[in-house]
Amino acid sequence: MMAIRELKVCLLGDTGVGKSSIVCRFVQDHFDHNISPTIGASFMTKTVPCGNELHKFLIWDTAGQERFHSLAPMYYRGSAAAVIVYDITKQDSFNTLKKWVKELKEHGPENIVMAIAGNKCDLSDIREVPMKDAKEYAESIGAVVVETSAKCAINIEELFQGISRQIPPLDPHENGNNGAIRLGKQTPQASRRCC
Amino acid sequence: MPGDSEAGAGQVGPDEAWGLSSSLTPPDTMCTPEETSLLQVEETFLALLGRINTLVFQPLLLAEEPSNVKDQECLRLLLQLSEQYQHLWDLTQVSLRTLRQRLNSPATIGLHTLHLLHSSDLFLDAYRQYFVIYTSCVAVQTFQKATRKKSEFWRSQRKALKQFLTNVTLETSGAAGLPHVLCQPLTDHVQQYVLILLRLGDAVGEHHSARELAIQAADRFVTLQSFIRRALDEASATQALWEMLGSRLGDALCTADRRLLLDSQEVPAVASPVRADRVLLFNDVLVLLQGHSFQTFDLKLVWVDGRHNKKQMSNRYGFHVITPEEEFSLSAKDAQGKACWLSKVSQAICQALRGKRDIPVLEQDQDQEGAEPPASRCCLYTFRTEDRLRLATYDGSWFWGKPHGKGTLKWPDGRNHVGDFHQGLEHGFGIHLVPHGAEDKYNCYKCHWREGQMQGYGICEYANESVYKGYFRDNMRQGFGVLESSPQAPQPFKFIGHWDRDKKDGYGVLEDKDRGERYIGMWQADHRHGQGIVVTQSGICYQRTFHVDKMVGPGILLLEDDSLYEGSFTRDLAYTGKGKITFPNGYFLKASFSTGVGKGFHTQGVLETTAHPLDPMHTCKRQLGLEAFPVESRWQGIYQQFREFIHSNCPEDAQEAFLGFHVQTAKELRKSQEYLFCDRSNPDEVSAKIKDVLAELPTHQDPESLQLYLQKALKSSAHPLGKLVKLLTLAFQATYSGFGANKHLLGLAQEEVKHHAQEIWAFYQGLLRVALERQGQIQEEREDTSESHPEAYRLVLPIILPCFYPELFMLYMLYHEKEDNLYSQGIADLSLFPDTKLLECLDVQRHLWPLKDLTLTTNQRYSLVRDKCFLSATECLQKIITTVDPREKLEMLEKTYVEIENTVSRVLEREHKLPMDDLLPLLIYVVSRARIQHLGAEIHLIRDMMDPIHRGGLYDFLLTALESCYEHIQKEDMRLHRLAGVHNQKALW
Repeated sequence: MMAIRELKVCLLGDTGVGKSSIVCRFVQDHFDHNISPTIGASFMTKTVPCGNELHKFLIWDTAGQERFHSLAPMYYRGSAAAVIVYDITKQDSFNTLKKWVKELKEHGPENIVMAIAGNKCDLSDIREVPMKDAKEYAESIGAVVVETSAKCAINIEELFQGISRQIPPLDPHENGNNGAIRLGKQTPQASRRCC
Repeated sequence: MPGDSEAGAGQVGPDEAWGLSSSLTPPDTMCTPEETSLLQVEETFLALLGRINTLVFQPLLLAEEPSNVKDQECLRLLLQLSEQYQHLWDLTQVSLRTLRQRLNSPATIGLHTLHLLHSSDLFLDAYRQYFVIYTSCVAVQTFQKATRKKSEFWRSQRKALKQFLTNVTLETSGAAGLPHVLCQPLTDHVQQYVLILLRLGDAVGEHHSARELAIQAADRFVTLQSFIRRALDEASATQALWEMLGSRLGDALCTADRRLLLDSQEVPAVASPVRADRVLLFNDVLVLLQGHSFQTFDLKLVWVDGRHNKKQMSNRYGFHVITPEEEFSLSAKDAQGKACWLSKVSQAICQALRGKRDIPVLEQDQDQEGAEPPASRCCLYTFRTEDRLRLATYDGSWFWGKPHGKGTLKWPDGRNHVGDFHQGLEHGFGIHLVPHGAEDKYNCYKCHWREGQMQGYGICEYANESVYKGYFRDNMRQGFGVLESSPQAPQPFKFIGHWDRDKKDGYGVLEDKDRGERYIGMWQADHRHGQGIVVTQSGICYQRTFHVDKMVGPGILLLEDDSLYEGSFTRDLAYTGKGKITFPNGYFLKASFSTGVGKGFHTQGVLETTAHPLDPMHTCKRQLGLEAFPVESRWQGIYQQFREFIHSNCPEDAQEAFLGFHVQTAKELRKSQEYLFCDRSNPDEVSAKIKDVLAELPTHQDPESLQLYLQKALKSSAHPLGKLVKLLTLAFQATYSGFGANKHLLGLAQEEVKHHAQEIWAFYQGLLRVALERQGQIQEEREDTSESHPEAYRLVLPIILPCFYPELFMLYMLYHEKEDNLYSQGIADLSLFPDTKLLECLDVQRHLWPLKDLTLTTNQRYSLVRDKCFLSATECLQKIITTVDPREKLEMLEKTYVEIENTVSRVLEREHKLPMDDLLPLLIYVVSRARIQHLGAEIHLIRDMMDPIHRGGLYDFLLTALESCYEHIQKEDMRLHRLAGVHNQKALW
């Protein structure tokens, strides 16, 4: 039997860039064995095979509005991966993305896997962010990067496969403290008693 | 007494006259000649009794006041004898009267009316009583003593006495005939009764109704004859023995009721290993004579064992004698001797146990001759030599020479034990009183005992009115226990914690009500020793190292204004030596402190005023004791009892000792409640008797039934699981209620609750394992022995949480007090906003506003309506405070989200999945409208107590979203205020 690894994934990005659309597409487009509990489009799960493991993505959406930025740490703490989404037709959203990356580097969980999604690639005729910029930036921070289209279902699968590949395989002799959560057994977590 | 006898003598006259006159009447033809002869016999006997009374009893009783004890005893016996004599006399008169009535009118008055026939038992009893006393008189030579003083008088009476005796030649001594005079006429009369009754029986014929009566009466008198013969033999043998033993030994052993039954000079027997020249068996004691000394053994406390399996028995004709303090064997010469001794001793024991010493052997007892005396007996005994029990008196059940069963043991020094005994030792439940000093005060132990030692749960009320409730081992407080002083004590205190060899040792909590302090920490030999936390009534809290009650080294002092002192300080909180104060604003002072003479304290140091970002974990959120007191070892003493119980395979007899109270089986319970007017218990209540528990456990293994069972078991204080919860609750309250409600202890408390859930689950599994093993199912060892059991969170925690909830939630409230205050302000401000205004402020997209839900009256505008939007979600969220179960709270939360989505879907008239961009503002709206108090405390309690399996999952997400709303409301506060002021005054007001 394949081990199921629960992976918390946090969605970051400006409002309107299509964070939840990407996830909706990812979760709903394909047949899923587990009928997953969801809260609207804000919390979704999907299980995909990866090597000899099953990765169960627990995908946490966040509010993209500027005023809620300060609440983001509550959402991304304990995440194994973050999907940061920008709109290729909006340079501003790419700037926000950089801020997120910076914040994650400083305050995010250690070894968090970052994936950059340039959404709305179907609208490349009004593109503001060149593909090259994104690729270079992603390389500089060691992140997965793809241009996606939630609308046309382009590269959605690949985005999460990219994340799966970046998750270090579980060493059975060690509770890897990479934010992954094994079913039924918790990783020893620093006791948390602050808000 | 002489008056009495005179009255008796006076009675004779008229009766005799009446008797004479009627005797002249010829007997009725219906009467048998036997009846006539009986009449004559009775008449003669009555006359004889009268003459004996006049000639013998009256002079005998005319003695002067007895001068010494012996004479008193002598007179007492004579008076008793005379009394019985009168009784016999009265009976004979009644017999005579009934005879005459019958003879006068035989046609109407039947044979069965004869007193002698229908009340033969009365006659039997009267004669027996008379001879019991008579033989006592013979045994102790009462007649000789009584006549010795007036020998002259009795010599002169010689002739007169002689007339009563038929075939006895009187010796020269005047009084020698006296005993015979008081005996022979009566025995002769009994003989006549027998003869006449037998003839009567024959005469009336087989079908006569009175025949049975006559034969029965004859039988009884025959029995009586043999009894009298035996009693006389025993009495004379006893009398002979007393004479032979001489005055010293004889007087020491001689009592009126004592009869010799067997003598080793007659049937040889040798005692060993005790030395004895002679062994005497009396009807009440067994005596070993050795020279001029002797040992007596009360037969009621003598057990004999004639079985041959005793290897140490040197002689095969021996048998074992067991008494409370001596054990020896008696050896006869041959098998016959052994049988004789064994049966006589056994029989004597049986009789002694029957207790009526004044009614010795009757013929009917011989049926029981072969019967073994019971092994289990009940009587009183005072120990003479045994060390522990020297001079102590035991009254209660015995078994083979040892106190065994229920009893009371009293020592001469006032100690007193009432309770169960086993093999001579206190065992089972007992109440033990120990007098305290000269006062009329006692230490009272109500406790379980095991082989003479206090063991298991007990309560001790000390003379100084403090009370200990807890566990004992080997007579000492050991394990977990609570010691509380009386409230009136000069320094009232309450200690709850661990004990070792009667002293406080290990983890424990002491509340000093006088100082208003609570010490939570380690103890050794009754002293604070090791790490300790002190919390005070005023909210100050510090952690220090203690050494034999003294504080040593630097410590951490947390003041109620959230400033922190690190360094050394005294018990009265005066700073000494080098230390560092960190103020709540982030300034700190490094200085050395000293107490000045009468003027506060002096200090010299550096005040750092550069604003440092202050880590709340360092000051206001600081948690004490987490490293010092690992949660696994904190309440070991409580768990220990339960673990031992499991490890010893749940012995039924130990259950009471370990739970501290008697538990009934379900059957007993039902029975005892049949008589109750109102049935207090749920009919399907869980039974607490371990046998029932173990039988029931395996039937509740599927999750649903297990949950129901655990719910009942954990709430029933009689069930072992419930008892564990009760003890843990007690310890928890003692630590965290009252002074202990200090935010710096939250960490300890929440850790403890979670750990308790684990331990209770482990205990349940232990019970289940034992239960399955008893049913013959071997449960395979669980591979996963790690400490975290998801079941503990899923099943146990929700059930036990209510027990800890008040104290725990208080700690959460204190811990989150500041945030909750900010949040409350935010809520208060937001509540001034009309719905539409608030939705606008939160940037909720307009198409999501549920304006349809607002029904307006004519003079209302949307902008004025409050608390109408998302009402269903708001109400749903408010319900989270109605339960303590974190899982239920989370379910409510989930429903709230669903309600929000439903409302939105209704507004949009299609199903709509809300992304977080839309959901969060709406949620903030709902949270601000729900106005839940202490939301911060709620959120964190849920998060800490939540089943870890949900981490990262839906519930975690929901809770995080709620928490982010809570945070946001705290921050948003000022801005909204400003907005309200500038923008929309008109709409607001």
